[in-house]
Amino acid sequence: MLRPVTVQPHEVVLRTKGLVKRFGSITAVDGLDLNVRRGEVVGLLGPNGAGKSTTIGMVLGLITPTAGTAEVLGRDVSARREEALAGVGAMLEVTSFYPYLSGRDNLAAIAILRGGGALARVDPLLARLGLAQRGGSKFRTYSLGMRQRLGIASTLLGDPALVILDEPANGLDPAGQREIRELIRELAGEDRGVLLASHLLHEVEQVCDRVMVIKKGKLIASGTLAEVTRGASYFEIVVDDKRRAAEILRGLDITEIRETPTGLDVVADPKRGAEINRALASSGLYASAIVPRASSLEDVFMELTEPESPSASPAS
Amino acid sequence: MLGLIVVTAFLVYFLIWASINAQLQAVKNGTIPTPAEGTAGLTETLRQIAPDRVAQFGVGIVSGLGSVMLIVFAASHVGTEFGWGTFRTLLAHGASRSGFLVAKTVSLVLYAFVFIVVGTLAAIGASYAVSAVAGISFGTGVDVAEVTRAAAKSGYTFLPYMALALAIAVWSKSAGAGIAAGLVVYFAEGLVATILVSLNKDYAQIVNWGLSRSASALTRGGGAAAAQDPTASTLPDPTRAAIVLGVYCVIFLVLAYWRLRSRDVTVGG
Repeated sequence: MLRPVTVQPHEVVLRTKGLVKRFGSITAVDGLDLNVRRGEVVGLLGPNGAGKSTTIGMVLGLITPTAGTAEVLGRDVSARREEALAGVGAMLEVTSFYPYLSGRDNLAAIAILRGGGALARVDPLLARLGLAQRGGSKFRTYSLGMRQRLGIASTLLGDPALVILDEPANGLDPAGQREIRELIRELAGEDRGVLLASHLLHEVEQVCDRVMVIKKGKLIASGTLAEVTRGASYFEIVVDDKRRAAEILRGLDITEIRETPTGLDVVADPKRGAEINRALASSGLYASAIVPRASSLEDVFMELTEPESPSASPAS
Repeated sequence: MLGLIVVTAFLVYFLIWASINAQLQAVKNGTIPTPAEGTAGLTETLRQIAPDRVAQFGVGIVSGLGSVMLIVFAASHVGTEFGWGTFRTLLAHGASRSGFLVAKTVSLVLYAFVFIVVGTLAAIGASYAVSAVAGISFGTGVDVAEVTRAAAKSGYTFLPYMALALAIAVWSKSAGAGIAAGLVVYFAEGLVATILVSLNKDYAQIVNWGLSRSASALTRGGGAAAAQDPTASTLPDPTRAAIVLGVYCVIFLVLAYWRLRSRDVTVGG
């Protein structure tokens, strides 16, 4: 279910400007501008190798940008890293803790590093993430899901204004994934900004206020979910004479036409349904159905990120 | 590791006594012929067990074993952070790279200190215990000042090797590489230096700037041990040796720091 869109002038907790990272001849991130405000959840989407983890690495000061800046709460990460990260809680894609320490001790070690009362949050966070019973067990005995939960717990030790989660639902069962979605919404409700990198698009659809789609290091789409998916609405037309129908529709300046087993899929503004119906009927062609469809985020994502190939209209 | 050095100290002392004692008994019984030089050499070796010889013998055992064990420890102490991915986790939670390296260095120095203290105490304990069992005279007993000086010098010689192992572990992001390279340098450098000096004493001017010769100069006391070593006369001045070892420590740590600061930390460290 989509979240209602709210736009409020919240404080920007994360801003990147022209962020670039090159590894030799490979440009992993190419001029990325993104921002996250308090109280919102921003989804960072992209295929494997798109540059999501590299972007997060630069935001956390793990990777030195080739160009551009990343600011957290107004502090340049490159210049004032420790200061900037004081307001950040991050969970990286691969959750790593000391295998010989218990979950509790691992969190305590990070809490000591954080300071500022973080130590007092260890046990409450273990309870919040469902690890209270296993807090004393060694990390190496944890299942993948438990490791993910511990990673998420570690992000909240410093009471951060910005939470960065890279694939937090990896390895979690459906119940666990739902808990993570609810947690993410709770974090936004606590006036924290959340940057969520995820491959689970249905999850992103349910929790994110905005999404940013990157491909080969470039931002190719951004906005609210409604904005990103609006351009991909289409009509499913069930008709026998597909060729003639396609000719009629091209006369209406509709160019994106795909042939299907039952007729045609045509990309057009949702308001043009009546116009399409009239055009076909006035030409003596009667469609069995003209159904407006909205692409899911997955549909849009696949279309935006699929490898480029020469386009051709199959119904020509 | 601390338990290991304690056990090893007692074991070495006991084995030496048992071995020498068995040989002496065998000579006395006629089971084996008397050595050409007599049994004075065996008896003198047995005297090394006595408490008044701990500064040379006991501390020497701890030093020899300690160098190897601490090279392994130093490389592992840092290298495992890359292997586990915990270095990345710590950085992501706001730790500084320089703070990380300082913490690792300080903890290694502290551990080396504890190691030499525990090892020396173990050697003293083993000396008294085995001497009592063997009926060997305690002599003048342990000279605490001399033992402390010997232990301090030995402990100091650990540091450049540990720094080297740390630096290689940082550069390679691997405990194994740090261990391997550290041990190769420890054993091979010393061997090569000894061979070269044995061939031509002029080579000492070059190899005396290395780790092994500097460490030997610092830990080699006078007396019987030095007299038996034909290359001892070409060892560098102990003060110079101490400075050289200190400089090596700084160089290795600077190299480690530079690498740590300049590297992008991705998955795997």
